[in-house]
Amino acid sequence: MRDEPVLQGFHLTRSFGDGETRTYALRDVSLGLKKGELALLMGPSGSGKSTLLAVLSGLLEPDSGQVLARVDGDAVDLWKLTPRQREHFRLKHCGFIFQGYNLFPALTAEQQLEIVLRWGEGISGREARERSREMLSLLGLSKKCHLLPAQLSGGEKQRVAIGRALIKNPQFVFADEPTSALDWTHGEQVIELLRIAAHERGATILVVSHDHRIVPFVDTVFHLEDGRLQEAETPVDVPPPGVRFRLEMPP
Amino acid sequence: MSYTLTTLWHDRQRYLPGILAVAFSALLIALQCGLLFGLLSISTIPIDRSEADVWIGPQKVLSVDTGQPISESKLVSRVAGIPGVTHVEPYIQRFSFWEKPGGGTDLCIIVGCRLTDDSIGPSKVLPQELRDRLTEEGSVVVDESELERLDIQHAPALLAQGRFASAKINGRPVRVVGLVKGMRSIAGPYIFCSLFTARSIMKLGPDQTVYVLAKCEDPAMAPRVVEQLKSSPLQQEEPDMSVFTKDEFSHKSRMHWLLKTKGGLALGYAAALGLLVGLVVTSQTLYAATMASMREYAILLALGIPRWRLRWTVVTQAFWIGVFGVLLSIPATYLLGELATHLGVKPLLSAELMAAAALITLGMAMFSGVIALRSLKQIEPVNLLR
Ligand SMILES: Nc1ncnc2c1ncn2[C@@H]1O[C@H](COP(=O)(O)OP(=O)(O)OP(=O)(O)O)[C@@H](O)[C@H]1O
Ligand SMILES: [Mg+2]
Repeated sequence: MRDEPVLQGFHLTRSFGDGETRTYALRDVSLGLKKGELALLMGPSGSGKSTLLAVLSGLLEPDSGQVLARVDGDAVDLWKLTPRQREHFRLKHCGFIFQGYNLFPALTAEQQLEIVLRWGEGISGREARERSREMLSLLGLSKKCHLLPAQLSGGEKQRVAIGRALIKNPQFVFADEPTSALDWTHGEQVIELLRIAAHERGATILVVSHDHRIVPFVDTVFHLEDGRLQEAETPVDVPPPGVRFRLEMPP
Repeated sequence: MSYTLTTLWHDRQRYLPGILAVAFSALLIALQCGLLFGLLSISTIPIDRSEADVWIGPQKVLSVDTGQPISESKLVSRVAGIPGVTHVEPYIQRFSFWEKPGGGTDLCIIVGCRLTDDSIGPSKVLPQELRDRLTEEGSVVVDESELERLDIQHAPALLAQGRFASAKINGRPVRVVGLVKGMRSIAGPYIFCSLFTARSIMKLGPDQTVYVLAKCEDPAMAPRVVEQLKSSPLQQEEPDMSVFTKDEFSHKSRMHWLLKTKGGLALGYAAALGLLVGLVVTSQTLYAATMASMREYAILLALGIPRWRLRWTVVTQAFWIGVFGVLLSIPATYLLGELATHLGVKPLLSAELMAAAALITLGMAMFSGVIALRSLKQIEPVNLLR
């Protein structure tokens, strides 16, 4: 089963604007990501990388095409869900790392993680704290739990942001330029951590980056050029007939 | 909640304007209303300080200062006949014109009451010695803070020599035989005198009065006595007569001053303006704070944390800004109240008023949080993915 893609995009197209000013950010992009795979999405500026990431993660609706996610043995058609269902899907299964650290200046490292568990899943304060500390020590930050973002180095801040993305133990992690603010030593550390998350936790991770030095660390590299995918590791087909699309919703 | 408090403390610089704005609003409301209530309570000193439980006056009585004359003899015996009434006496209070010794006139309020020991009128605000002096016709007592307004600044010096300052009211000569403290009024200085002097000043006949006061065996009986008077044949014979309990009349008089004077309006207006300023500043503070955390909130939204959670956070922040602002306003209000008292206007800062001001401003703070929620509408995680 390891070879079966768990996140697939089919013929994804997305444009912005109308008429003369209409630009195509994605043109008929199809791709598939496997469980435990660390994939890198590269391409020149404006080629549509962020757009593809947003479409695949349920944040931006494509003009046409389909996004299929396989979770707990079910296939979910992401853009057929209602917005609330999609929000719940992201809550259950998705982690995000955006450019910059995006940490609350007033909260300590562990609180940044706790808040996700407590607000997202209503987990008790105590359990949230324990899980946050555990995650931070996995990231080598056990001594920095009580520090504010202002007291952390750039690399440490990005590790906290990674911890926040991983704390829910998500099936999918989406990272847009996670290393852009870091020097290479720390950038390498970040990629290494994401690789461990993919290979040891079985998360499917899509990283958008300009940085060619990352290439040796990843399992797959996708190239986007002017909204078109240049090469994909595995050819992708339309979904096989008989796939059930459903998602267990909370009561 | 603890995240909210942590954030407020960490970014106190940012939230301070909001907290100060709330404190300012609460202070303004409490102090304005306190000053207003203080002034209004002055307007009913004669009612509040009398021992009468029931007030009977002409129909068009709007406040204690605007009563028209009625016939005394008809009323007194009839009222005295009501079961439970132990004492009835006439009382005169009306606006008149004080003619300053140096020229010019000013409005004043004649307070003419019985001066005997068993009187139920407001004569007890005067010490025995002054009451004795008032029995002489043409003698009056005024508040020591009104001397300038009455143009008799020399009165204390004269009194010290055993002589009296003189002036005229409605053309009748009067002598200021003594001074009291704390009887300052809003509309015009109170001029305390005997019933006899009051009738003579107002050119009333010996049988005319403005009010008839009644005392009951027990103040709790007052409402029943009022009911009985209203349904008695007396009311049909004298349709011009209206009857109130002391509390009703005091309240009615204060409301009259509150509603009919521009002063009350102006104070209310200033308080409302304070509230508006607080609302704008607080909501702007919250709006800016939310926008400053936009990227953090966007990550949480991307992670599937529902939007209502973030709305709740903003409203909770608003709540705590309100709480801190109100807490700050309490000592400030009492301090400024003290200052005002020293300056001669004593605000009436009751616990109820302070609580009401706190609740209103807290509500305002929460509302400003709700207004600031529009900031969250602009946060879309996808906008941070570029
Ligand atoms: N909201 C939008 N409105 C209009 N055009 C947009 C919008 N978002 C993206 N685009 C356009 O779509 C194209 C692809 O944008 P995208 O952000 O996906 O590029 P990218 O590959 O992530 O670039 P970069 O490496 O600079 O981040 C660009 O030409 C961009 O101008
Ligand atoms: Mg981008």
